[in-house]
Amino acid sequence: MRARGRFAPGDIRSHVPPPLSAPFATATPVEHERILQLATGPAADPPDGVAFLDGTQRWIVERWIGIQPVVRAHVAAAVLRRVGGALSEADSDFEEFRVVPRHRVPADWLAELGKQEMAVLDAGGDDRAHPLLDLRQAALRVEGRRAALERKLAARYLAARGGEWLVVDGSIDDLTATTSAGAALLGLVKSHDTQYLDGADLEAALTLPEGHRTSVFARESGERGRVFTWYLRLWPWDDHDLLHGLVRVERPPEDDAVATASEVSRWLLAERAPLAAPDERWDRLLYPIRRVETYLGAQAGGWW
Amino acid sequence: MIRLDDRRPIGRVVATETLPAGPHQFHFWTATETPLGIGAIVRVDAASGRVVYAVVVDGRAYSDLPTPLHDVVAAEGDPAGATGPTRRAEIRLWTAAVLRHEPEEPVQPVPIAEVHLATEGDVEVALRMDGYARAEPSRAIPVGAYRAGGLRAPVSLDADFLLGPESAHLNISGVSGLATKTSAVLFFLASIFQRFPRTKGSVAAVCFNVKGPDLCFLDRPAELRAEDRELYQLLGVEAKPFEGVRYHAPFKADGVNLNTLRSHPDLVGDVQPLVWGLREVLDFHEVLLNRDDIDAKADAFLDFLADRVVEKDFRDEWGNAHRVRSFTELERLFRAIFDGLEAQGRGDIWRTHHIATIRKVRNRLLNISTRCKGLVTDDGSVSDLPFGSFADRSIHVIDVAGMDQLGQDLVFTRVVSKLREYLERRELGVDHVVVFVDELNKYAPGDGPDTYVRKMLLDISERGRYLGLVLFAAQQFRSQVHRRVVGNAGTAVFGRMDMDELATPGYHVLSPATRIKLATLPKGELMVRHPHFTQPVFVRFPRPAVLTGPEGIAQFPPASDVPFDDAVVRQLAALDRRVAPARIKDLISGRREEDVRRALLATKRVRPEDVTGFFTSSLGPAVQRERVERPAGPKPLKHVEDPYAP
Repeated sequence: MRARGRFAPGDIRSHVPPPLSAPFATATPVEHERILQLATGPAADPPDGVAFLDGTQRWIVERWIGIQPVVRAHVAAAVLRRVGGALSEADSDFEEFRVVPRHRVPADWLAELGKQEMAVLDAGGDDRAHPLLDLRQAALRVEGRRAALERKLAARYLAARGGEWLVVDGSIDDLTATTSAGAALLGLVKSHDTQYLDGADLEAALTLPEGHRTSVFARESGERGRVFTWYLRLWPWDDHDLLHGLVRVERPPEDDAVATASEVSRWLLAERAPLAAPDERWDRLLYPIRRVETYLGAQAGGWW
Repeated sequence: MIRLDDRRPIGRVVATETLPAGPHQFHFWTATETPLGIGAIVRVDAASGRVVYAVVVDGRAYSDLPTPLHDVVAAEGDPAGATGPTRRAEIRLWTAAVLRHEPEEPVQPVPIAEVHLATEGDVEVALRMDGYARAEPSRAIPVGAYRAGGLRAPVSLDADFLLGPESAHLNISGVSGLATKTSAVLFFLASIFQRFPRTKGSVAAVCFNVKGPDLCFLDRPAELRAEDRELYQLLGVEAKPFEGVRYHAPFKADGVNLNTLRSHPDLVGDVQPLVWGLREVLDFHEVLLNRDDIDAKADAFLDFLADRVVEKDFRDEWGNAHRVRSFTELERLFRAIFDGLEAQGRGDIWRTHHIATIRKVRNRLLNISTRCKGLVTDDGSVSDLPFGSFADRSIHVIDVAGMDQLGQDLVFTRVVSKLREYLERRELGVDHVVVFVDELNKYAPGDGPDTYVRKMLLDISERGRYLGLVLFAAQQFRSQVHRRVVGNAGTAVFGRMDMDELATPGYHVLSPATRIKLATLPKGELMVRHPHFTQPVFVRFPRPAVLTGPEGIAQFPPASDVPFDDAVVRQLAALDRRVAPARIKDLISGRREEDVRRALLATKRVRPEDVTGFFTSSLGPAVQRERVERPAGPKPLKHVEDPYAP
């Protein structure tokens, strides 16, 4: 059963892979001087009360004012908390808004848009119009709002249930600034566009056997400066893509992040079941995260 | 678990392009923990005010697991590892068949709205019972309780559609021993007797007990469980044994011991002997004769006998006067014909009938009194059902369980024919008669020869409702009963069914889940189809408040057969405990058995205050034996000297 592999042996390709915005970044060792491959031990039951956070974003071009796009967007985020194996909503929120390049939209149109009960955000951009660039700017704005919504929910949840784990789909870069120190926050990164390691360290990370993790290392992050992270192989990759079943776990830079790395890895291994299929990313996507996505999709109605 | 005391919805209608909601069927989902099940009645309230009532006919559950292989992969091939820390999202998706729309017009697809469990009032409206249960007088005949999610609501049939004239007849199917067919019918009869409005007329029942002691103790109370008593209370039916039960059974071959398991000394007095003579049999000769026997010539001769000879003064060509009232007298006639023809050498024809035909008819008819001995007597005495004086709310149980098939056919045919005849003349004594017959597939099979019994059952099922003659029939395999007989039953009831039977085409209108439920129905639960119910409904009925056959046998063990004089004493003593056995034995000592039987029959029929006196007078004075001196014999012949004399 194949997952969506990037460079699985034998796959015939025709297109040039898309460009990577930030292929390299720096890292510093935390747990060991060199990156080692460490057996996590057998999968173990995760603690009860783990919650999972994810967000979604959708946008459409609602109309054109001249050559200026009016983008209408829906962003949402939800936290599903697991008790006794059952997931139920702990928190959720959504926003709908419009994004326009304000400085290029005539005032009467802005006034007209402002009369409607929906926020109008500025897409920014240059004075010189370029429809495709304008759309990209609008999309980035939407993405920013989604990230902000996720931050809001994460902060709200951790404030309410600070002692319980919150697993976030993706990096915790944006979250560490708004969460308190010592938060049981965990990010699960499925894409590996940016490589923080190189040489033997990188090879050790990307060739991890199933059920192994790397040493914990620190990577440069946003306002909090650093994020502790390690690679974990959820599924064997021998016959697949090099990145098959490989995730990168992120924790706030606390001491216990290193101490609990293997324990956290063991219960992440337990999360392989149920499988997140039929999602093509089933080898790296946790089933509860997929459930959050499904939940948000169901809530979004026509936006999905 | 969703609590039922709050009025929160239990589900929501879902409709997709591939799974749309129609006017007659729709789908809805519920929480995984739900009191809902197959057969539950639900209510959909649309914002527009439209209300839809429906019954759940199918249910499915599935998770978001795309293929079984994904589970194998997640568990890495180890079934013990198949469960992860998160339970998969599951759905309970139900299919419901619409019972009723309000308003009825225009007929529209079921709206996408909340689904509620039906309340007691909803059940009444959903099954259209409001039309007849709330009528004045109420025409509701309770048949059981609808049960779902802790709710119990009475389910009733419309008397006009159960006993006529709108439609009539009830057919019940199910495997023997598990479907509780007989119990169900007994409860229905109790319900009819108590709830059938008197303004609609009088009603009685005739039940054929075709096996064991099933119907032999309908007047004896049974111990009921608390659950049954609650059901009786809910249904508004009093838990009590039947009143006015009359039992009828033929004699055994000895002509004096009754052929019934209700022969305990305390009970046998209620059993009326069923005894018929030549006339009663001859009218239904078609039942008794093989199909091969009934050619045109034999038929013509039988008609001749029935029209010109039996119970008429008849004089043959040889000067003999006949009045044929019994098989003995019939045999005398036949002997006179054969002797006359032989003596006169006139050939083989008597009054256009060939002697071979006459011999064949003679053999068949006289053989009947042998084959049905105990039912058919040779002495002309008759003890029959009280046609013409049937009492309202009475039950006549005819015990034919001990008879062979031929005798059962004869009894069934004649009794039902007489009922029809009296009902046509409005002289039966009641306006409606329910005839209960078990093993219908034996009497009205879907295939096989077209027997007289089957023709009669077809006639009843098609025309009986106009007369008030209502057939309650039971069988194990509905598919093996003639289609027109079951098809004309307005109400169809099903108990536990056999899977093979459910695989026959007649059941394909039911959903697979409904068929599975039918195959696993517990005792006391039934599926009911009725003209007012647009979908079948499952109900639970209480056990009848009478002893079952085995219970009755345990409490009232059948008496063993006794000698002739003891049997007579026992039957008279059952009528009147003051009867002195010694005196009765003295009375009948030396009397012809047929005379004693005739007197006994008359006494049981009349049930006089002074049993001994009536019996004595019925017996008549004893004919003193006259001593006849042996004649002296012929005088010796005159001696002749003849050396060659013998």
